[in-house]
Amino acid sequence: MSVPSEPADSSQPAVATAVPPGHAVVAREKQIPENGNEIISLWPTTIICGALLLLAGFILDYGGDHLSYGSLFREGYVRRTPPGSVATPLPPKTALEAYMARGKKVFEGKCITCHGPDAKGNGSTYPSLVGSAWANGETERFAMIILNGLQGKISNGRIYGVMPPQGIGMTPEELAGIMTYVRNYFGNTKGDVITSEMAKAAMKISAARKNAGQSVTAEELTADHVKALPGNPVDATTLVDPLTLEPVQAAAATAPAKAPVPGAAVAPAASPAPKTP
Amino acid sequence: MSSTSSTAELSDVTLRSGIDRSLRHPVMFFLTSAAAWLAVSILLAIVASVKVHWPQFMDDCEYASYGRVFAAHTNTLIYGWGFQAGFGVLIWLMARMSRQECRAAGTILTAGHVWNLVVSLGTLGLLDGRGTGMPWMEFPAFVWPGLLLCYLTIVVWSFIQFRVRKGERTHVAQWYLLAAMIWFPWIFITANGLLFCASGHPLMAAAINAWFKSALMFLYFIPIALGTAYYLAPKLSGRPIPSTSLARLGFWSLAVVAPWAGMQKLAGSPLSGVFLPYLGAAATALLAIPLVTAAANILRTIFSSEEKLPKSPALHFTLAGLMGLLLLAVAAIALNLPGSSLKLTQFSISGYGFEILALYGCFSFMMFGAVYFIVPRITCSEWVSSRFINMHFFFSVYGIVAIAFGALFGGFIQGSAQEAWLQPWESVTDVVRPYAAVSTFAWCVILFSNIFFFIHLAMMWMGLGRRDSNPILLDSPADMSAPIPQPNP
Repeated sequence: MSVPSEPADSSQPAVATAVPPGHAVVAREKQIPENGNEIISLWPTTIICGALLLLAGFILDYGGDHLSYGSLFREGYVRRTPPGSVATPLPPKTALEAYMARGKKVFEGKCITCHGPDAKGNGSTYPSLVGSAWANGETERFAMIILNGLQGKISNGRIYGVMPPQGIGMTPEELAGIMTYVRNYFGNTKGDVITSEMAKAAMKISAARKNAGQSVTAEELTADHVKALPGNPVDATTLVDPLTLEPVQAAAATAPAKAPVPGAAVAPAASPAPKTP
Repeated sequence: MSSTSSTAELSDVTLRSGIDRSLRHPVMFFLTSAAAWLAVSILLAIVASVKVHWPQFMDDCEYASYGRVFAAHTNTLIYGWGFQAGFGVLIWLMARMSRQECRAAGTILTAGHVWNLVVSLGTLGLLDGRGTGMPWMEFPAFVWPGLLLCYLTIVVWSFIQFRVRKGERTHVAQWYLLAAMIWFPWIFITANGLLFCASGHPLMAAAINAWFKSALMFLYFIPIALGTAYYLAPKLSGRPIPSTSLARLGFWSLAVVAPWAGMQKLAGSPLSGVFLPYLGAAATALLAIPLVTAAANILRTIFSSEEKLPKSPALHFTLAGLMGLLLLAVAAIALNLPGSSLKLTQFSISGYGFEILALYGCFSFMMFGAVYFIVPRITCSEWVSSRFINMHFFFSVYGIVAIAFGALFGGFIQGSAQEAWLQPWESVTDVVRPYAAVSTFAWCVILFSNIFFFIHLAMMWMGLGRRDSNPILLDSPADMSAPIPQPNP
């Protein structure tokens, strides 16, 4: 402290020029001047802000169909193959597994609310599907009930509530799935697979009914629909594509596609021979 | 220094030093404990960063697993260092600009101790594995009401001081500080309430969390940084802020735009309002307007001075913070271009780089500047060594530049590697490894720089500051030739 210039000594008489001891830092501070009133230069500000606003609009535009939920989450959405890639099909499953997986989704969306998670109904208004003669019986009869609903007596002769039609908006794959699922689950062990081809036929039959639009009754079912649905039966262990439910050949499933043409349709030579009649 | 000619000026000095004296305990407490938490946070950052490129490091210690250490690093950086440095600066600036002595120093000090206790408990709970898993809110849920109560107890006095301020005009700095004081409880209550009390869909929770991070950055930390710079720039240069209307544009555009930003983190996710991420991206890009206008206004205040300004540490750090601010504005645009950069930042380190740029490159540098300005006033002594300050300054700058560029560019590289989906995911970690190593190195540099800061601040706190009246300047070797200061009895 050899600098003699700072008498930080409070014994010094207080004169107007004295600063409280130790407050040299505060004393040498500059005062904050009043804020300036320079006008914003119009053009640079407008151009910069305008450019950024345009950029923001461009970014916002990427949001696409902003609030339209339906266009973003399409029903039956299938994942698109990214550009520049070879379409790799999903690993095939057995027909029974694939159809039942599809049916499980439909069951949990439509049937579960009345027939319950164990498909046993409630005993009074909703009948059980477990061991049901109609569910496990002729396929056309079962399909008609699902597609059109049911009123009046059921297979065991009792009368439950009215079942509303379920076929509206249902795809053949879904109908096939739900039928296969119910016939092979909840203790039902039918073991057969209702193909989407059969389901398509069922929809045709349903549309051609005499009293189309009304729920079916026991009388109509026994009169017209105690039949098996037309179409080639598929063995439960046939390998199918889990998305399209089309049969795949074991060779096509294991070997990668030989002609990787991006975006183009699968070359006919590489595709399995059509099995449908 | 004997230029105090009039009694009016003398009484002004008395008033200002009275304010400083009334606040010396809480401010010094906040600044020193903030510095201690900064040390903790940097150490945790080094551990977390090492584990990215060397996963076997400390892998037998569950308390040092990456998820916990990284969360502890960000949370101590925010609630330990950021908030407390902010408190210290905010209560001092508001008292000075409202020209009111603080009458509740004891209450503030108590709340400050409780804040430290709560943050410590939260950090320990976090390291013990009780974190919530939401970035920047990882402290166990019991922590946040405690933090909010402490915050209100600390800040309400500054609000009262503003209400009973002397003088009609308000300064630009006061706008930002007052706004930050009011915005924080809104952000904090909204986010914590929606996530811990009325939790909804988990995807929306992630979106709210992303919003909270952005809002905390741009509606709390950045306003405090800007308020500080708007105070220090005219104070150091003695020049007026050139354009009040430009300042007004900067302030209100921040207030209007910043609350919309944040959800760009979820671009491409099936958020039911799919426009929200793009709205967030657009708002973040628009944040360049408030940031650049404020930086331009402050820089012009500093450089409009005809005389050559003394190279004070506060000026150096403020200028560096302003550079960080401009870089942040560029990054806000560059990271949010849909179709090119936006999708690369979702799961990459560039988001972290952006946050560190805001928290350290901008906010912390402004806080360091304020600390170098405030501490001599409340301790009535001068900083000891300009070499210490130079070391702190330059190594901090090197460190933050390395982290910011490493993480921003590394994030782009990482994002591109993630987009190459035909490659195995593992290859992404190989690509990003060198950038993680750079980050580790940079955090070590930052730790090194801050050791000088900690020692220096501790010396001031212990009353070892120089007692003469020569300010410390970074270009004069005066203090080097001076005898080593002895502790003054």
